[in-house]
Amino acid sequence: MENKNKYWKGLEELNNDPKFLERKRNEFAEGIPLEEVLTEQDGELTSNRRDFLKYFGFSVSAVALAACNKAPVKQAIPYIVKPENVTPGIPNWYATTNPETGASLLVKTREGRPIKIEGNPESPVFKGGVSAIEHASLLGLYDNERLKAPNAEGNEVDWNTLDAKITSGLAGAKNIRLVTGTVNSPSTKRAIAEFTAKYPAAKHISYEPYSHAAIIDANRALFGKAVIPGYRFDKAKVIVSFGADFLGTWISPVEFTKQWASNRKVGTSGGGKKEMSRHIQFESNLSLTGSNADVRFPIKPSAEGALLVSLYNKIASLAGAAPLSGAQNLELALNMVELTAKELWEAKGSSLVVSGSNSIDNQALVCAINHLLGNIGQAYDLDNYSLQSTANDFGFQQFVREMNDGKIDAAVFVNTNPAYNYYNAAQFAAGLKKVGLTVCTNSSMDETAMLCKFHAPDNHYLESWGDAEPKAGYYALIQPTISPVFNTRQASESILRWAGNNTDYYTYVKATWSAMGVNEATWNKSLHDGFMYAGPKASQSYPIATAPTGAAAIAIQNYVSAKDKTELQVYAKVGIGDGTHANNPWLQELPDPISKVCWDNYASIGKVTADKLGVKDGDLVKIAGKNFSIESIPVLVQPGQANQTVSVAIGYGRTEGGKVAKYVGKNAYGFGWFEGDTFRYTQPDITIEKVAGSYELAQTQTHHTIEGRDIIREASLKEFVKDPKAGNHKHAHIISLWDERDSKGHRWAMAIDMNACTGCGACVVSCSAENNVPVVGRKEVLNSREMHWIRIDRYYSFKDKNGKTATRETGLAGNMLKGKEEGLITEDTNFEDVRVAFQPMMCQHCGHAPCETVCPVLATVHSSEGLNHMAYNRCVGTRYCANNCPYKVRRFNWFKYRENDKFDFYMNNDLGRMVINPDVTVRSRGVMEKCSFCIQRIQGGKLKAKLEGRSLKDGDVKTACQQSCPSDAIVFGDVNDPNSEIAKLFNNERSYVLLEEYNVQPSVSYMTKIRNVNEPIAGDHASEGAEHGAKEHQHESAHS
Amino acid sequence: MSYESPIREPLVTGGKTYADVTRDILRPLENNASKSWWIGFSVSAVVLAIWIAATTWTMLEGIGAWGLNKTVGWAFDITNFVFWVGIGHAGTLISAVLLLFRQKWRMSINRSAEAMTIFAVICAASFILSHMGRPWVAYWPIPLPNAFGTLWVNFNSPLVWDVFAISTYFSVSLVFWYIGLIPDIATVRDRAEGLRKFIYNFFSMGWNGSTRTWHRYEMISLILAGISTPLVLSVHSIVSMDFATSLVPGWHTTIFPPYFVAGAIFSGFGMVLTLLVIGRVVLKQENYITMGHLDAMCRIVMLTGTMVGLAYITEFFVAAYSGVEYEQYAFINRASGPYWWSYWIMMTCNLIAPQVFWTKWARSTPWFIFLMSIIVNIGMWFERFVIIVTSLHRDFIPSSWTMYTPTITEFAILIGSFGLFFTLYFLFCKYLPTINMAEVKSIIPTHAHDEHHQEADHSTIEKGAAHG
Repeated sequence: MENKNKYWKGLEELNNDPKFLERKRNEFAEGIPLEEVLTEQDGELTSNRRDFLKYFGFSVSAVALAACNKAPVKQAIPYIVKPENVTPGIPNWYATTNPETGASLLVKTREGRPIKIEGNPESPVFKGGVSAIEHASLLGLYDNERLKAPNAEGNEVDWNTLDAKITSGLAGAKNIRLVTGTVNSPSTKRAIAEFTAKYPAAKHISYEPYSHAAIIDANRALFGKAVIPGYRFDKAKVIVSFGADFLGTWISPVEFTKQWASNRKVGTSGGGKKEMSRHIQFESNLSLTGSNADVRFPIKPSAEGALLVSLYNKIASLAGAAPLSGAQNLELALNMVELTAKELWEAKGSSLVVSGSNSIDNQALVCAINHLLGNIGQAYDLDNYSLQSTANDFGFQQFVREMNDGKIDAAVFVNTNPAYNYYNAAQFAAGLKKVGLTVCTNSSMDETAMLCKFHAPDNHYLESWGDAEPKAGYYALIQPTISPVFNTRQASESILRWAGNNTDYYTYVKATWSAMGVNEATWNKSLHDGFMYAGPKASQSYPIATAPTGAAAIAIQNYVSAKDKTELQVYAKVGIGDGTHANNPWLQELPDPISKVCWDNYASIGKVTADKLGVKDGDLVKIAGKNFSIESIPVLVQPGQANQTVSVAIGYGRTEGGKVAKYVGKNAYGFGWFEGDTFRYTQPDITIEKVAGSYELAQTQTHHTIEGRDIIREASLKEFVKDPKAGNHKHAHIISLWDERDSKGHRWAMAIDMNACTGCGACVVSCSAENNVPVVGRKEVLNSREMHWIRIDRYYSFKDKNGKTATRETGLAGNMLKGKEEGLITEDTNFEDVRVAFQPMMCQHCGHAPCETVCPVLATVHSSEGLNHMAYNRCVGTRYCANNCPYKVRRFNWFKYRENDKFDFYMNNDLGRMVINPDVTVRSRGVMEKCSFCIQRIQGGKLKAKLEGRSLKDGDVKTACQQSCPSDAIVFGDVNDPNSEIAKLFNNERSYVLLEEYNVQPSVSYMTKIRNVNEPIAGDHASEGAEHGAKEHQHESAHS
Repeated sequence: MSYESPIREPLVTGGKTYADVTRDILRPLENNASKSWWIGFSVSAVVLAIWIAATTWTMLEGIGAWGLNKTVGWAFDITNFVFWVGIGHAGTLISAVLLLFRQKWRMSINRSAEAMTIFAVICAASFILSHMGRPWVAYWPIPLPNAFGTLWVNFNSPLVWDVFAISTYFSVSLVFWYIGLIPDIATVRDRAEGLRKFIYNFFSMGWNGSTRTWHRYEMISLILAGISTPLVLSVHSIVSMDFATSLVPGWHTTIFPPYFVAGAIFSGFGMVLTLLVIGRVVLKQENYITMGHLDAMCRIVMLTGTMVGLAYITEFFVAAYSGVEYEQYAFINRASGPYWWSYWIMMTCNLIAPQVFWTKWARSTPWFIFLMSIIVNIGMWFERFVIIVTSLHRDFIPSSWTMYTPTITEFAILIGSFGLFFTLYFLFCKYLPTINMAEVKSIIPTHAHDEHHQEADHSTIEKGAAHG
């Protein structure tokens, strides 16, 4: 019922007095005396208490609001015309191909700019693996020091002018050379063909600074097929490698790592299979591959041929074939050849012998051995061969000679840099001076570009169209993911223009493919997939045309003559490779997987040799070889380095090519030479002497052993087969003060298979790209302040005189703490015989995180999904969390790393900052940061599932490190999902967590390392521990 | 009035009268600054300038200006912090604990010891501020109501406990010191003129010397002493928990609280000795701060030094007994690792050196006491360095082991913090009475007011005894 009662304020209201009504309309009897206040008279305030409160309230809130606006305003301008397929905040993915390795990639673009490279998991060859160099190639796109426009004789010109000048020059030339790197692109090949057709005086030379030409030549000589065979490490039960770093730098490391790892995972995949390949490595320097081998023999480079001869003869005697003559009386220091031969023979048809040598003789022996073993068509596939390196060393050598003879009048260099990486760069430069027309398409002002008159800078491959055929029959497409940043033109198109063809390159590639019989639908599918592959060809039989009899005598001669000499070998590093990408700060800062040195190369010398020379880490030495010497280079005493050998990495000592690349390390290409038909990378007789001074190398890890601690758990395959928990019986007796955390919903966790992890470092670069991890430079690495969120710990272990495992350094601590079965690392430890373990380490996202309890401001807290969060903008920077982190994975922003001239890498210019992932905060100075388990990806995965109206399934969320791992060593997922892979791995017998006894409950679990060796590793623990472990288990369950 | 035993040595010698006390102690206040004061003050001010420059540089550049790294997240900064907090402890101990125990000898040294406490805590607080990555948000660890919603501090974190402990300590010490100063400020006021009179008048808070004011003064002193006494124990206990509650091997030790308190008193007395051995001569206060005082403080130094030494040895025993490999390694590494020298400096200065105070000669030779006080300070600085750096630089995972090398900036801040301390101390000496006149007057021998008092020392006592 409505209340009918009505109250009047007075008679005026009852009578509807007009005056009253007038006043009633104005809510405030007196109105707001704003004007009065503003025109205050006689200094007397006319406002009353209410007004005062109003103004006060308004001004306080206005001031508060104004004060809140601390950050400078940055305008985000919406698209006026929205480009097709570009939605702000939503990434687009494009399939493309890295032209250097042929790897199939997926490129993530945000608002039109590529920000991340991932592998293409659909590729049957590369299977989603990406190397560190491929990851880092993204940053090359945003390199501010690329050539920004065409240039003729020092003047910036437009393309038409440049083309006119070049074509007129070419037309008048009598001898033209087109020098390219490896060309496996059908379209580029066609363009080159058009070029040479237009200029009959032109010849195409394929040049690689770190060449595999000997493999091609040897296969041509023995099998009549001039190719690099398709190696299949997944088909090999026994792998014997002579100095081939196939997991790190040799031909196609990502592909090989995928293959190799598939035979290394035991007890976790393939229904828990308990077989693994046996990997034997003979090498001089400790390579990534050698450090992952089951058995490793340090040898001098000159011994390789002799060992191959010996191996051939041993296998021949087992096979009943004729041995090579002249090798019988040879006594080799290592009698392991016999055993290796036996193992290979037992696995005949499913074994593989490879060599990293560029000597045709050695490679011929390798061909012959594989032939004897019946590996042709199996692990040594001549039908599905590789086109990833098509170098012609002889052709280039001849070209340099012709230039010096003044016979060449035009030279076009397509992305090659012989002025830096040819062994006799001075001769090359002298010859080039005699060439009338010099054209260069190199995308930066590098050593060769400096010497050339015309510059037609190439696009970055992420701006280009193109194709590739890295493996026979595997056709891959390159598509642009961004329009050219600068006024550049892709090199193949330039060649086409100079050949007089004005077709745009996209049409040209498409035409090439339609000439191959590809229709529109297949083209579209290939463009979408990134590749087109009909599957492997059936293998044929390849009889040996001529046995490598001549090779034997030479090999033995080399061995005998170099016996007492100190030898040098140049090698490539996983990050820097041949030095093409030396201007890439991500790669410079990537620590070498073995030495953990970044930003430098060095003379890697074994302990015995170093002692003889009287040098230690950081001393400077002069190395003099035939025709070349390095005046001073720092020494790194490297365990595993063969005695009487020195190894120096190529790719350093650039004198041009960008501020990052310049003067980092020393150029070691000069130690190369030419013999037979190939470039050689070893020097059989060098002299080393100590010179004055010292130079500190920036290492991210300065202590190299586990000091007997329970950090790396390992067992031999035999022990593992007998007892899957071998080496993993120790379990802590846990007492807790804390309540267990609720574990409902997701609980994110990671498992790392230490048997699969090769330590290659691809994850480190991938993580840096994904999470905007800054580059800090050599000086800051020396200060132990690298920012990497994931690191790969590398530990050495040795044997003492009595054959006991030695991981502790001599000293009071070592002597007092070592166990009975343990040895100590002393002066007389054999440092050549080293065992290596890799352990990727990132934030362990502890359930009871020690960092969380000590933070005064709750900047690091636990999520309900088991993650350890870091709230950057709450952090005050006390660094207590980092001190209290037992895994030392927290990284502090010691400086402002962006827009700071002291850190002039890529975050100091607008173009470089384009690479920043917009999903991840760029951290400010003074805050702590660390691995977040790629929380942006977790959230992205959840959002996607939500939009699709489904629950998250296993594999929806992949961390950056996991996604790029070439050996699939990292698995990430939700352990609360019982069907997930991670949940299974957590329950696997091989699974253990670090520092379990501290009950910090890490979310990262490691899988024991299983080595395929004969001697026991887990030791007594395996048998006795089983009982013990069971007992401990009961303990544990009684307590929980 | 105090009872004078004929056997005990008098606490104030020289047969001083009440007037003498006032005159002697106010001499530096009422005359132009001496040359030695100017020299000392100027040197301190220059060193303070170094501190300002180095701290400013750190604030501008970032903590990267220091030598810290991914593994060693604290070094000079927290070493200095704990060092200065420790220095402060003697003041509180002297003024509070000794007051409660009615140790009258404290009366002539408590003022300067308390001043030292306050200045040392200021120095310590400066390190809390400057060690932060983002010092401009240094107030975040204080549980203030804020605009961040329900965001609060982490009461589990020992750093928050630290904030409470240090701020309580500082405010209580300051109030205690100031209350103690009021009667003396009033004395200065009464003798001053002009602006000085106005200022001292303001700070004397209307002191009129009535029985009621004296009564209240003594009550509040007693209450504040009661409040301060637990602080002597709590502050350094809580500072020690910055380490003890962590799981870093070498930090994670239950022995820390008593061990740190003993160490703090040890270093505090070291610093008091440093200041007074010089100060009593320069300010001509030998009759107030007598050899008896020095002797007593030397005994305390020896006692507390032996206590910390015992703690060092106990730590080794516990590490060995624990069976924890990481702990064992941490302690062996302390004594024999790359920083062995810092450990042995600590051992020598803190445990071995103070044992000389068993001899009377050592306790009664001022130059030697001064030398020892410096040694004690060096030793105690190294104790904190050893605990912090040698524990952190090699912890659980050997791959992360690093070395720590300080930068010039860190040395400048360390040295500069002494500039801050001494600048404040010199100002104190010039503008405030360094000895509590009011209290000292209560302990001078009553016969000293006899008119013929000029003879000094024992004859006075004998005379007094005869009179008594």
